[in-house]
Amino acid sequence: MPHQNLNNSVRDLQRRIAVYEDEAAYKELFILLFQSLTRFAEGIVQSKETAEEIVSDVFISIWNDRAKLNAIENLQLYMFVAVKNNAVRKVKQLNRRATVSIDQVNVEMDSLYQTPEEKLLSNETVEKIETAINQLPQRAKLILKLAKEDRMRYKDIALLLNISVKTVDNQLAIALRRLAAAISEPLRKKK
Amino acid sequence: MSKEKIWHLFSRKLSGEASQEELAELSLYLEDHPNLKFQMDALGHVWQQQNQPDRDYLEATYLLHLNRMKKLGVEPRHADDVAEAETAEHVKTVSFLYRHKYMVAAAAFVAIFIAAFFVFSNRNPQTEMTAEASPAQVKQQTVVTQYGTNKNFKLPDGSVVWLNAGSKLDFTNVSETGDGTREVYLTGEAFFDVVKNPKRPFIIHTSSIDVKVLGTKFNVKAYPNDKTVETSLVQGSVEVFVKNRPGEKYLLKPNQKLVLLNEQEAPEIGKKTEINKNANLAIIAIKHLTYGKNDTLSIETSWIRNKLEFKDETFAEIAKKMERWYDVTITFKTRELETEELNGDFSKETLRQALDALRFTTNFNYKIDGKTVTIY
Repeated sequence: MPHQNLNNSVRDLQRRIAVYEDEAAYKELFILLFQSLTRFAEGIVQSKETAEEIVSDVFISIWNDRAKLNAIENLQLYMFVAVKNNAVRKVKQLNRRATVSIDQVNVEMDSLYQTPEEKLLSNETVEKIETAINQLPQRAKLILKLAKEDRMRYKDIALLLNISVKTVDNQLAIALRRLAAAISEPLRKKK
Repeated sequence: MSKEKIWHLFSRKLSGEASQEELAELSLYLEDHPNLKFQMDALGHVWQQQNQPDRDYLEATYLLHLNRMKKLGVEPRHADDVAEAETAEHVKTVSFLYRHKYMVAAAAFVAIFIAAFFVFSNRNPQTEMTAEASPAQVKQQTVVTQYGTNKNFKLPDGSVVWLNAGSKLDFTNVSETGDGTREVYLTGEAFFDVVKNPKRPFIIHTSSIDVKVLGTKFNVKAYPNDKTVETSLVQGSVEVFVKNRPGEKYLLKPNQKLVLLNEQEAPEIGKKTEINKNANLAIIAIKHLTYGKNDTLSIETSWIRNKLEFKDETFAEIAKKMERWYDVTITFKTRELETEELNGDFSKETLRQALDALRFTTNFNYKIDGKTVTIY
């Protein structure tokens, strides 16, 4: 199961950083999580530069607290929460009256990619799905991203976004249903 | 079953949240609904596709991240990354801004160029010569360092060695390829980063111990005139065999060191204080590596970063290290000073500055006469 793989490798890297101060493991963790954390932060602060800086700061604190790292049960979730808190703080710094709700978080999904050898879907189908993803409500899109790209469990998504597991379950079902419907529909012209 | 529920089951399946019963329920339902099955198969396929991470972008970003850490003084330092740390220094004019992708690409390019330059410029004449030796003829392959210098070079099998001052490494028996063990002979001190190859164990011979490894990072200190022979392990695992104790084998874990009393040296020590000290010291002991505050490199291996560092070591032991570091001879006129325990951390200090710094912690005078230092 893909979740297990990501969790296990994060767990292993975490242990190597905590026990051996292994810089190679630290780098691997960076390579593994930097992009998905940056995407998430960017959805909140709406600036790639600021997002990268926020995530870099979180990675620095991971290194500084490496001795205590083994006590963290789910490092990926821990880092997502840290990134969220820092990003929300940043938004409020820039605008005192700003409020950040998950319905405003505007995440970019990876474009759908198929290797030429195992191209099971037609370009048309892929295009239909991508269009449908971009038309999803932001909350559903965010949950879809966290579940699909970041391989997060329902309970972790719920914790991160301060919503119930039931909401995650519902939102994801709605999102997939819409994507499925789009596959059977004729392709609409893009604006 | 409601159509609503089927989408819940499907999304739970994709996210790995579905129970066995739910999976069975879903597949049973789909047998009767081929159109839905087609849509779900397509989405399942999309779900499994993961984009490849943009490795170039991430590598370049990581360099800039390291650079930020360095500015804050918290950069992770690792034996592996001498070249990388060096490059981080060179890209410091590039600020942590990503206005242009080109900038990141340029930084990566500069980094690679500098890394290559660093690797090439760091080659020393001895290793260069061995590289030219024809494989057919067996030639003595040795690197020697004088006092006051250390060297960093690659062995034919790709393993990296830092040879500390006043040391010698014979690596005639490390071929580039082939079977059989890789064997080196060491006098003095070296830090090894051995390329992993379970089929070809790597053995370091010294006058009193043999260290056997598969692939790992560790330090061996075996100067003939030092009181102890030490093996410090940073990563991986090593086995240490003590020559005059056949059949005994010591297995080290990371961050441990094996300290062996140098028996050649031991009987010669006639001073009272030394004897008392030795009586309390086991012949073989396994200890933990010592780390300085905010330092990720242990004291035992700090020399590879061109740092002379010691913690709670006797002045006599420190003098030995300083002799090799500064290429001088140090003699004590006041015997009591030899057992004084001191701490210190030097990198760019001159001999005089280092001695002055030590005088802050203990009361002594010194006199420098050419290459001889007298402490009284």
